[in-house]
Amino acid sequence: MTDRALPPASHDPIDTDAVVIGAGPAGLFQAFQLGLQGLGVHIIDALPHAGGQCAELYGDKPIYDVPGIPVCTGRELVALLLKQLAPIQPQWHLAAQVQGLETLADGRFLLSTTSGAQLRARCVFIAAGVGAFVPRMLKIAGIEAHLGRQLHYHPADVDISAGQQIVVHGGDEDAVAAALRCAEIHTGARVTLLHRRDVFNAAPDMLARLQALRDSGRITVIAAQIIGMEEQNGSLAALQLTDPQGAAQRLALDQLWVYLGISPRLGPISDWGLAMERKQLLVDAATFSTSQPGIYAVGDINHYPGKRRLILCAFHEATLAAFAAAELLSGAKVLLQYTTTSARLHAILGVEHPASE
Amino acid sequence: MTHVVSENCIQCKYTDCVDVCPVDCFREGPNMLVIDPDECIDCAVCIPECPANAIFAEEDVPPDQLAFIKLNAELSLAAGWKSITKRKNALPDADEFNGQPGKIAALQR
Repeated sequence: MTDRALPPASHDPIDTDAVVIGAGPAGLFQAFQLGLQGLGVHIIDALPHAGGQCAELYGDKPIYDVPGIPVCTGRELVALLLKQLAPIQPQWHLAAQVQGLETLADGRFLLSTTSGAQLRARCVFIAAGVGAFVPRMLKIAGIEAHLGRQLHYHPADVDISAGQQIVVHGGDEDAVAAALRCAEIHTGARVTLLHRRDVFNAAPDMLARLQALRDSGRITVIAAQIIGMEEQNGSLAALQLTDPQGAAQRLALDQLWVYLGISPRLGPISDWGLAMERKQLLVDAATFSTSQPGIYAVGDINHYPGKRRLILCAFHEATLAAFAAAELLSGAKVLLQYTTTSARLHAILGVEHPASE
Repeated sequence: MTHVVSENCIQCKYTDCVDVCPVDCFREGPNMLVIDPDECIDCAVCIPECPANAIFAEEDVPPDQLAFIKLNAELSLAAGWKSITKRKNALPDADEFNGQPGKIAALQR
């Protein structure tokens, strides 16, 4: 024994049967099917909530082709999938992106996330759709050098000191909320809300608060686009703007908070050495295994002859992938059981099993 | 990789595509639309919507239209080219221009 402190427990990898990357409809149903196979599941998603494209792109749009559900919105489908998944009790890693995936000597996989978690899994299911939804970046050459110091994308909160000039960039509810929070909490800061036009998309009460803070001079609104930046001694000193009439303007600042919405990015998946075609992972349509045994891909991210990017196809893919993984891990044939009749499945789902006569 | 609007959009600009785009990646110029390659997620639902058959996956762009890959990227960042997310009326003579060759000469930036 030495008296050196042990590393924090969070540094020890968490052991699990399966990791599902992506909490859209494909990933949620994948986790459910893995649960029916008796496997423990961890789910990782970049967003702070489940749903993926269904929540972000089709939240309020109707879906008419999920078998047995004549119509539901994206959000309603996610709610139903979560309810169905609940008895499986998966472990969640939300607001976290997978950074690395390596194959260990014993054939297991070690995954690391941006939230610092390490997961050691016997099999991995990539249900990452069109990529992780991450903040949309500014397209100004060189500005990324200031990331984390003066430039922040969708910051929850940033330490700021009195007298600092904060520029909040964006026109949606998140941008307005950030400007309000900044002006109301950090009363010493000078807050500018910068958007390409003087129209903001937010709840009426927030717009009223914005107007009040504009009237009292605590928030300045500028309608203009960012076309460049000025640096001084390695710091971001000012933004170069052009207003809707084309006139140039200079805006000095200490902090730039950017809220331009989110968009999907494939991220590091293409660096994992898996066979791909275009942006899709190639899979065997019998097992949905990628080119690496033990790593499966389901939903929009995979490709195989006849592939159609439909939610209902992802459900089929996830089911067969779960059977394939269960057989790979057990080394034995997995027999089919129906959820209508199986005592084992009823126990997993926590539902009553009719007593035998 | 991305999808690309090609020459036959010029002077037509039907805009049926923008209604179906899940990520709002179309940008509008005076007489043409383009796709912002940084936003397109390759879902391909815009292809069948275009009455002028002007949209292709990057890999399927016909040889005589390859210049449009770069042009879409360039114009989506150009000043004055703004995001378009709702369908509007096509240009007045769209049906007459649909399918005419050599429309690149008429492109307004």
